[in-house]
Amino acid sequence: MQTVLEISHLVKTIDDFQFGPIDLTFELGTIHALIGENGAGKSTFIKLLMELIRKEDGQIRLFGKPIAAYGESWKQKIAYQPQTLIGCSPFTGLELMELMAHCYPTWNETYCKQLINMFELPLNKPLGKLSQGVQQKLANVLTLACDTEIVILDEPTAHIDIPAKQMLINVIAEWMERGDKLMIIASHQIEDIRKLADFLIVLKKGKLLGKYEKEELTSQYKQYFLQKPLPNQPIPGEVDRKGGRIVISDQQDKTETYLTKNGFNWVQKESLGLEEVISILLKNER
Amino acid sequence: MELPIRLSKDSPEPIYYQLEEQIKALIASGQLPAGSPLPSIRSLSKDLEISIITTRRAYQNLEYQGFIKTTQGKGTFVADINAEKREKVKTETVYKAILSGVETALRHDYTISEIEQIFQKIIADLKEKGV
Repeated sequence: MQTVLEISHLVKTIDDFQFGPIDLTFELGTIHALIGENGAGKSTFIKLLMELIRKEDGQIRLFGKPIAAYGESWKQKIAYQPQTLIGCSPFTGLELMELMAHCYPTWNETYCKQLINMFELPLNKPLGKLSQGVQQKLANVLTLACDTEIVILDEPTAHIDIPAKQMLINVIAEWMERGDKLMIIASHQIEDIRKLADFLIVLKKGKLLGKYEKEELTSQYKQYFLQKPLPNQPIPGEVDRKGGRIVISDQQDKTETYLTKNGFNWVQKESLGLEEVISILLKNER
Repeated sequence: MELPIRLSKDSPEPIYYQLEEQIKALIASGQLPAGSPLPSIRSLSKDLEISIITTRRAYQNLEYQGFIKTTQGKGTFVADINAEKREKVKTETVYKAILSGVETALRHDYTISEIEQIFQKIIADLKEKGV
């Protein structure tokens, strides 16, 4: 897979919040989910990427070249949707469409109209008069219709109703097949992550815990239901336990060797859901 | 298009392998005849809630083994497979299903001869029903 975006040693300090240093690569054809608790630095990361805030150190390379080499034109290759559209409320959908068409050479009017119809969006009302959910639907549609190679969505589905959310997930999956695309989604919505993400980028307190391929991450964790209670001290490979007889491990070999050697039989060995894996990952790393 | 595929996260077999084997079985059993279109990698990944890395790996293995073929710009289709290959997959599928049953019995501390008796009983019951 071709690397399209390469970030090295990205650093920023905001008051007492230390972000980075972060090193990451992004490949064409993939969807990356940015995950972390509130205040972990997801939005900071995106804003640094879009140069909406100035980085202290680090380099961002786009298609192999430093972004400075593109002048301002690199911004036409990335469509970015912030959590809230600031300064857009007096404008109608129609006016925003014209604005986007003007900014992005790759803008696709036909595709935009198709999505507008699909989500039944009003185009003649000022954005400020629309509900938060409708605003967000419109923002998603406008961003996707830019048809850029890279799209960054910050919490794209937080306010959207259930049927539209389903529709949007399908639309995003189809959008990925319109060409060689990269999508980065910051999201707390487990459904988005399960259905769309190929890679999970996990941030905690401004630091990168890791970039994980989805199945690689989930297959790492197993929980064992034991016949007799566990000893009080942690056992090899243990990352968490529930009550006295369920132990969760991220090193199956070590845990199973210990359990077998010490006469702890397990009646069941199970995988964890993605939600639980993420929670354990965020809880345990310090 | 939806495929009747069920992946088990609790199985010791990796997800890409489960996907590969289930598509093979659908092809060998004739449920997916030669020329049938398969879902795109992205769309199948979304439906099965797995990454495209996993789906692509399964598709690549299936293509390498001659079960499917991808035409640039048109999509992925079921390939023509010969009778011998079809037979081989069928045998493997059945063998594995029975093996997994035997393994379950062993986990419940049955002896081999007890397992044989269970097997005989299942066959006898089915014969009675006229299978």
